[in-house]
Amino acid sequence: MMTTTSSSGTAASVTIDTGEILTPNSSAKRRNIFAGIGEPVALIGALVVLIAIFSALNPRFATLTNLQNVLNQASLPIIIGVGATLVILIGSIDLSVEGVMAASGVAFVLMSANSRGGQDMGIAAFIVPVVLGTVLGALNGLIYTLLKVPSFIVTLGMWFIGFGIATILYGTDAYPELTDDNLTNWAAKINLGLPNVFWLAAALVVVSALVIRFTRFGRAALAIGNNEDIARANGMPVRKHKVTIFIIAGALSGVAGILATMQMGGTSNHIGEGYLFLTLPAVVIGGTSLAGGKGGVLRTFLGVILLTVLNNGLVLAGVSPNYQSALSGAILVVAIVAAAWSQRGRLRIAK
Amino acid sequence: MSLGTKAKRFGAVAALATAAALALSGCTSTAGGTTAAQPLKKEDLVFVCSVINTTNPYFAANIEGCQTLGKKLGIPVEVVDSNGSSQTEISKIQAILAKGKKAVVFVNTVASSDAPTIVNAVKAAGGFVTIWWNKPDNLDPAKVGNNFVAFQKHSGIDSGKCTTEALSKAIGEKGGIIALPGVQDSTTSATRVAGLKEALATQFPNVKLLDVRPSNWDPQLAYKNSKDLIAKYGDQIKGVWTADDGMQIGAMQAFKEAGLLNKVKFVSDGLYPPTVDAMKAHEGNDAIVGETFHRGYMASAIGLYTAYLAAIGKIDPSKLPHEKRDSMFKISCVTPGNLDEYLKWDNNVAGWVDTLIEKGPWDTEPVPLVAGGPEVIKPEYK
Repeated sequence: MMTTTSSSGTAASVTIDTGEILTPNSSAKRRNIFAGIGEPVALIGALVVLIAIFSALNPRFATLTNLQNVLNQASLPIIIGVGATLVILIGSIDLSVEGVMAASGVAFVLMSANSRGGQDMGIAAFIVPVVLGTVLGALNGLIYTLLKVPSFIVTLGMWFIGFGIATILYGTDAYPELTDDNLTNWAAKINLGLPNVFWLAAALVVVSALVIRFTRFGRAALAIGNNEDIARANGMPVRKHKVTIFIIAGALSGVAGILATMQMGGTSNHIGEGYLFLTLPAVVIGGTSLAGGKGGVLRTFLGVILLTVLNNGLVLAGVSPNYQSALSGAILVVAIVAAAWSQRGRLRIAK
Repeated sequence: MSLGTKAKRFGAVAALATAAALALSGCTSTAGGTTAAQPLKKEDLVFVCSVINTTNPYFAANIEGCQTLGKKLGIPVEVVDSNGSSQTEISKIQAILAKGKKAVVFVNTVASSDAPTIVNAVKAAGGFVTIWWNKPDNLDPAKVGNNFVAFQKHSGIDSGKCTTEALSKAIGEKGGIIALPGVQDSTTSATRVAGLKEALATQFPNVKLLDVRPSNWDPQLAYKNSKDLIAKYGDQIKGVWTADDGMQIGAMQAFKEAGLLNKVKFVSDGLYPPTVDAMKAHEGNDAIVGETFHRGYMASAIGLYTAYLAAIGKIDPSKLPHEKRDSMFKISCVTPGNLDEYLKWDNNVAGWVDTLIEKGPWDTEPVPLVAGGPEVIKPEYK
């Protein structure tokens, strides 16, 4: 079409072009109203279907106890997922999660009252590990932006640095356990019907959702992920925003390391294991684009809940562990295809 | 005794006879590799101590055993931290072999499939190796030659029976229990589960195995699985069986959060320091009712010492009976009642290593050699 009009003459092409631009534009506008909602609605639909099936298979599935259980298990991936989503929104990736968790977890237990003895440092036991996460996150961001190393590589390296710090801190003494039961019980303790750790995770999700939606920083993150060059051309401090986001992600991994340690009542440098590959799929399942610029933390919240319900439901339904892995993979693929159906024409990555 | 074992015995006797005949005809250097002919000198040796990671209490104890033996014998020790990776394990061992000293190697293999590569590398470098816990069934030390001195382990089936008996008795021989095995394809875990199932089938018909959820030796996965199983079965669960103490930590945490720790009994394998602490403190109304006793430092010291004896020519592996090349060492059942009897060993590792040097690798209490491998799981308990 374009070639025909442009070859037919300048004057004519102007009018025809306008028409061509206007028509799809108005329909795109109409679609846009639903574009943001379609996917989450489909995801919620998939979740509802799963819940219905699992409830039918085992009446204990849909009980308050199990809801508390699922939300307790989902909380740490949600907290890590908030950071991961921000990073992915700017088109980067943070693989350092497990290493940062290990470093902060070990630092936390050794600074708290624990079975190895040593001094209880009180509030500093919480602050130092988070600062440690922040520093590792800042290093991620600075190396990535200043030295222009892909975030994939920088954060992969930081994973091992974090793990190394944890190993050095841990030393060769016995497994350190927290001796204060108040710390150990805090995460799972029920308040207003739900576990403490879930309230914390939910608060983080709400705050970050508001930040992304209503602040200049949040919009800048989306703009950077969408098209970094345009964002920069518009005078946005791209580097500053990117570093800030990596700092937030690092700090949240630090918080997760502390919480995981509290949950286990002690820690080793393996405390973060498994969290990265639970969280990243959850972010993507939620619908945040790996190419950046599209998505959000509420979607990640849904993604984590979907994955947690799936694993919990399969155990409660009594599916043999031999089949659980394959079956949960198959259900996931179906759920994602269903959830992303409305978006399939505009998926930015189909590699 | 099965036909297979008989056949193996016969094979071993035949091999011995052949070796003796060859020795008589002066062909030892080809039949027995380098050992019998030219024992290595102590000052040329280095001990290599390869573990899966350095923070798990069991592996940390492996290192302690290697170092204590190294100190006693005056031989330097190189520790290999595999960081859970077969690749790391193999490349680090190869790097040490390349340094030139003759290596006497103890390996707690990351995966069974690592064993052939490691054995071949050590053999090519003229070193001596003992593998602990994991190897493929068809990799027979006797067939590889003197450089693969021995494969050693504790019986998983005995461990499973031991803990299951303690658990069943503690819950009055009736009611539901759940089991959390380790990584699903791990032989160690599979044999322990087989012991569990055999004990239930033959001795405790009224104890019901409600659910089996592999938890990958991971305390956090054990925690999650326990939470899900509590949601599923509630107070039907009277007992919890885990394949190691790491997972027991996670499981106990989940039951504690559910307010059930005082009502449920736990058993596991390993008697790790946190478990000892919990038992001593009578945590959860004596929640832990059964454990097994075998020690990381004992395993590594026995393994290294066996390889060392071969290296300096004190033993000729080709002349050893089958059970001393493919060995199972004793495992003891620990209850809150006899716990103290076993803790005395941990307070005197150096003293235990002295006894080992005095009595040899196969006759040292509390872990003497009890049987030959490989350990076979009956199909009905798989």
